[in-house]
Amino acid sequence: MDSHDRDHRLLAAFLAGDLDPAEARWWDEHLLECEACWRAVRENRAGRQAAQVLRQPAPPGLADRVTFAVEMAAAARTAAPQQARPGIRSRRPARLGRRLRWRLAGAGAVAAGLVVTLMVLLLPGGHQAGSVPAAVAAVTRYAQAIPPPTGGLHPQHTAPVEVGHPVTVTAGGQRIVLRTWRLGGAEAVVAVSGDPFPMPAQAQGVSGMGMAWSARVGRLGLYCLNGPTSELVAAPVPAAELVALAARLPLA
Amino acid sequence: MGADHRVFLDATIPYLDAVWQVARQAAGDGQDPEDLVQETYLRAYAAFGSYRGGNPRAWLAAICLNVARSQARRRRRRPWEVPAPAVPDALPRPWAGCGEDAADVAEVVIAGLDAEQVSRCLALLPEPQRVCIVLMDVAGYTAKEAAETLGCPRGTVLARVHRGRRRLAQLLAQAGVSHGQP
Repeated sequence: MDSHDRDHRLLAAFLAGDLDPAEARWWDEHLLECEACWRAVRENRAGRQAAQVLRQPAPPGLADRVTFAVEMAAAARTAAPQQARPGIRSRRPARLGRRLRWRLAGAGAVAAGLVVTLMVLLLPGGHQAGSVPAAVAAVTRYAQAIPPPTGGLHPQHTAPVEVGHPVTVTAGGQRIVLRTWRLGGAEAVVAVSGDPFPMPAQAQGVSGMGMAWSARVGRLGLYCLNGPTSELVAAPVPAAELVALAARLPLA
Repeated sequence: MGADHRVFLDATIPYLDAVWQVARQAAGDGQDPEDLVQETYLRAYAAFGSYRGGNPRAWLAAICLNVARSQARRRRRRPWEVPAPAVPDALPRPWAGCGEDAADVAEVVIAGLDAEQVSRCLALLPEPQRVCIVLMDVAGYTAKEAAETLGCPRGTVLARVHRGRRRLAQLLAQAGVSHGQP
């Protein structure tokens, strides 16, 4: 350590108030007469002030995102540790105009009455059976927070309004962007992914739509249309209403 | 799902903003700071069972820096390395008299602060100095917390942050923060 290093350390310690009174007094007096050291002090302050310009508040949705990711990790520990691990956020998939497909899929589903109730229960603490794929379990867990619909059906003239911020997770190796929408008195979660949502064991395919399936998990209806961009809608509404709801939501 | 994640979140979410400040500066090219924060919390949660107490802020910052480094390694990038410019060599010796120009550095810097310019100049500092400045001046850690984060003595942190601040101020003055100055 040369004399400059030693002086640096001593001056840094002096500025931090670390020196004993005698040493501090020496520096007080020294700074009055040494222009070089006084300049060092001023540069120190200027550098600190400059660095503080870089402070920026955390994005408003970050706490929710982190909390959800940790909750998913906790669920994965107890339920299906080999499948679910929230991870890096994905890029938002490109928007695709797929309402027609949804309407067709919905019509097929309603006509055939193919929505079934899964024998999978989401317990109050969040446990779920292993028969629900991790990606679907992540969506259903997120959608558990949705309140039941109020005020009956959603009126046709009402536009969907996004609630809160998008949350992105990775579950079962699949990146998923979750958005919550309110349409009239009903809310729904729309999950979008670049990978198809695996079909739970007890879900059923939608007639005429090879990559679509529907299911019921507890009070939640699930409706999925897989494709280049896959969408899964989850809402606490009856099956027939879910189809109509899905058709009116921004899906990607 | 057990209640341990609630305990973890209660203990760590209050420090989200500090982790965010560190992540913003530690994230390399192509790294999203929000991803880095999320991964930090997931790794911290995974290790929470073996966490033996201490300062959670320092613990989280250490994890964040490690995640940033390991992700950068995977991408074959080295975000905390000093690029090669000759600027440090061109800087005046800390204790040299340096004449009239050096005498104006502090005033010039304070007068023309610009976040983008500061960020660019901060990136030119050697990693040890940069990390100490990020922890103490950007994220608001104390020298003791920074020392705990980095696993080095408090005096070392103070010396690094002192050198780093001075060099940052000098770089900013040289880089043209003095726009409009006489």
